[in-house]
Amino acid sequence: MRISTQGAFLNGLQAMQRLQEALDYTQRQISSGRRILNPSDDPIGSARAIELREAISRLDQFDRNATIVNNRLSQEESALSSINNVIQRVRELALQANNATQSNESRGLIAIEMREHLENLVQLANQQDGNGSYLFSGNLEGTQPVARMGSSFTYNGDQGQRFIQIGEGRQVSDSDPGSSVFFQIRNGNGTFTALADPGNTGTGLIGAGSLVDPTVYDQDQYTVQFIDPNNYEVLDSLGGTVATASYQSGDTIAFRGIEFSLSGEPAAGDQFIVAPSRFQDMFSTIDKLATAVERTVNDSVSRVEMNNAINASLLDIDQALGNILDVRTQVGARLAATENQIDSNGSFKLTMQSTLADIQDLDYAEAISRLSLESTTLEAAQQSFIRTQQLSLFNYF
Amino acid sequence: MPDLLNTSLTGMLAFQRALDLTGHNIANANTPGYSRQVAEFTARIGGGSGSTYVGGGTQISTIKRMYDALLVEQLRISATGQARFSALNNLAGRVDSLLADADTGLNTGLQNFFNTMQDVANDPAEIPTRQALLGEADGIANRFRSLDQRLDTLENEVNERLTLAVDDINRIASQIADVNDKIAVAGVGARPNDLLDRRDALVLELSGLVSVSTTIQDDGAMNVFVGSGQSLVLGTNVQRFGVRASEFDPTRVSVVYEGASGSTPLDTALSGGTLGGLLEFRSRVLDPSRQSLGQTAVAFVNQFNTQHNAGMDLRGNLGGDFFSIDPPRVLYSSNNTGGGTATAAIDDLGAFTGADYVLEFDGASYSLTRADNGQSIPLTGSGTAADPFLADGMSIEVGGAPAAGDRVMIRTGHNAAGTIENLISDPRSIALAAPTRAQSSLANIGDATVSQLTVVDAEDPALLTPAVIEFTSPTTYSINGAGNFTYTDGDPIVVNGTSVTINGVPAVGDQFTIEPNYGASGDNSNALLLNDVQSTGVLDGGAISIGESYGQLVASVGGTAHQIQSGLAAQNVVYTNAEEAVLSKSAVNLDEEAANLIRYQQAYQAAAQVVNVTKTLFDSLIAATSR
Repeated sequence: MRISTQGAFLNGLQAMQRLQEALDYTQRQISSGRRILNPSDDPIGSARAIELREAISRLDQFDRNATIVNNRLSQEESALSSINNVIQRVRELALQANNATQSNESRGLIAIEMREHLENLVQLANQQDGNGSYLFSGNLEGTQPVARMGSSFTYNGDQGQRFIQIGEGRQVSDSDPGSSVFFQIRNGNGTFTALADPGNTGTGLIGAGSLVDPTVYDQDQYTVQFIDPNNYEVLDSLGGTVATASYQSGDTIAFRGIEFSLSGEPAAGDQFIVAPSRFQDMFSTIDKLATAVERTVNDSVSRVEMNNAINASLLDIDQALGNILDVRTQVGARLAATENQIDSNGSFKLTMQSTLADIQDLDYAEAISRLSLESTTLEAAQQSFIRTQQLSLFNYF
Repeated sequence: MPDLLNTSLTGMLAFQRALDLTGHNIANANTPGYSRQVAEFTARIGGGSGSTYVGGGTQISTIKRMYDALLVEQLRISATGQARFSALNNLAGRVDSLLADADTGLNTGLQNFFNTMQDVANDPAEIPTRQALLGEADGIANRFRSLDQRLDTLENEVNERLTLAVDDINRIASQIADVNDKIAVAGVGARPNDLLDRRDALVLELSGLVSVSTTIQDDGAMNVFVGSGQSLVLGTNVQRFGVRASEFDPTRVSVVYEGASGSTPLDTALSGGTLGGLLEFRSRVLDPSRQSLGQTAVAFVNQFNTQHNAGMDLRGNLGGDFFSIDPPRVLYSSNNTGGGTATAAIDDLGAFTGADYVLEFDGASYSLTRADNGQSIPLTGSGTAADPFLADGMSIEVGGAPAAGDRVMIRTGHNAAGTIENLISDPRSIALAAPTRAQSSLANIGDATVSQLTVVDAEDPALLTPAVIEFTSPTTYSINGAGNFTYTDGDPIVVNGTSVTINGVPAVGDQFTIEPNYGASGDNSNALLLNDVQSTGVLDGGAISIGESYGQLVASVGGTAHQIQSGLAAQNVVYTNAEEAVLSKSAVNLDEEAANLIRYQQAYQAAAQVVNVTKTLFDSLIAATSR
């Protein structure tokens, strides 16, 4: 093929330009550490890289969220732990007060301590976090959840529970509303309450009660009425007779799927009321307990009255403790779930980061050997260009 | 003897001309488009002398231009292709980098915005965090606007470049006509080689601007045609190209052919070259990118606003619109003669495309077509306010008195991203809480719990009216004391636009209240739902989320840019090969010319020696006779 001078020159020039372009590209790859410099170099890879960076950024956010949840749940757990201790102490005091060796005076002192614990409990329930938000007021963060009017306690928060996203499609709540921690607690044994009528003149002492057959129990209110000290009848809320039986101290009174034991000597006309459990807040429970402990005992009838009241409150206290335990179990489960999620987020992030590195990061060994090859080629092209350009017949004129 | 003198003289003259020609070739060794010229010698026919026949020396019969029309044609075609890809590559690469760059693209902004939304969800009562969200909201609105603005700048650049290219085409066309004239004056037989080279160079330059075809007339003049056969140069006549504001958009330049019968738009007929590349970039990369960006913007704003409307702010007000965005833009054709009007709105994001549409009135009814591919879109409805036309996720209302043939363009996405504004400046006005809350009465006896409050109709006028669901039996309930509805465990109960679910066994008299969520500064329910806007499928019938929609744009532009890059690399090779072939045939080789110099110099010297011989012969004759 005929070579023209211009063609030879252009060829050499273009070859060098192409090599310089390649060299520059490799150099930019090496200096940035990126395999993909422009999205068009690898459109699929760069689209994937965008997705991965987004996902990694989301995971970082989830980690921050999880840390927040963790802190809040730990704070709640510590508050619940204090609350549990207070109630335990009150329970111990109640057992102490129930002991026959206590005098009216010593019980009075116990009641004073109980009321102090009650104050403490209200304060714990109205605890605020570092930002001044109430821990147990649901979503009404700025509202003090528990208000006291004498011996009545009201909940001013709401029943909302806030959820925080800690993973893709994974949300956990970072709090429990005061309503479910302090207020929605069933009294009695959780199913029913059995209480002595305040007007009783005998010494009938109510013992432990239980639900025997849930299919028969119909949540009606029943009255166990003593016809005489040895016989009683059970009436439903409409006055209909459910059962009649004879009585001996320590007998189990059973009807409509429930039973409870009764000991002592009830007088004729004494009544024991069985009603379905209702919600009773733990503050009222302690307040009632303290009121029972404060009773003046001067004969066997008033002692039984006090014992019945303390026993009933003890059941309520146990319900409160059970409820706190439930909430703490849930908080613990959430904490564990959060920890797990942080771990799985971490390993997921690691996988994605290594995928991202595969897509966008430069293989330095390959790039540097490419660079040296390209620079060698360019050098050779330059030298050969100079050589061939020097060749001319005119040199010999 | 005089014959010998004449003969040697012809040689000397011819070689002198050949040496001149070699000098001309050497001088033009680096002239682009120059075809080397070669002298063709032929022997002169001499006179007869008896029975022998002696020739009369030499002559240069022609000066041949080393030229191959086919190779030049190849070069023109590849120059057209190369210029097209070069223009495309330059512009598409810029769109590509713009969209995918972490600093200018949308991804980082969207991600930051939604991450801050999660921070806000973690602490909805915190004013500083809310303030940070507003900052990010400004940021995201700004990103959308600046992306659109950068694309708009590119559109203006295309306009300017088109105008310049058209000017160049007109200039080159005049020059070709000029050269045509000179060639015709010189005459075909004269072989005005350098003029022909000049014209070929002009046509090659023109090929870099637009795809052309040529024919040669009998008088040597060249006719040049472009597009779908529009003549640009006919002999010495030039038909001019021009630029006009396009039919619908005065800011958009359209290339027209200023023929005898008025100007004809050529945007779709022109291909190849810089001009073709610019037009192709506009229709293939720029317009779809702007439409897609607009589609994302509209979907983002609509989705976010809808969810924000369904929330309650720190002051207890229902959330207003968070962002604003312009409705589809209606552009009336400059050719319209009637007084028709049209307005359009987004009706259904699932069917919304962001494309441009043309609505045409034929005198009796309206028809809608997509502007980019001419696809006909069926219209439902009658176009009135009460019953608007519905098509591709838009609702269109028409009015006034249009004339037959009147057209309007509806741009649903084109400029939309540039019109996003953040409407909220007060951090307390961000609606992060649910507007209502469900509470179970603490006096309830049954086990039933209420959960899963969702707002199903934020526009229900009674949304904030408290309602009490009271159980009249374990299986029936009343709402606000009225009605007797059957209760099924776990079934949603909808009251005043709020839906709640009650689970468990209620007792008679148990109450559940739905009430306005006033004061719930810690509630983040709506923040969580706002956060979902990023990943919830909404476009394309609910298949594509906002994040994905933008990702698709980046991938599609990246893919196109990649394709163009490969195309350009291929065209470069084709062009280089074609250029090499032409250079090989036509360009000067200095060694060859040096050899020619020696050759012609020696021949000239030999011819001069012949004169000397003639002189010697004559001298001998004189000497012989003078004695």
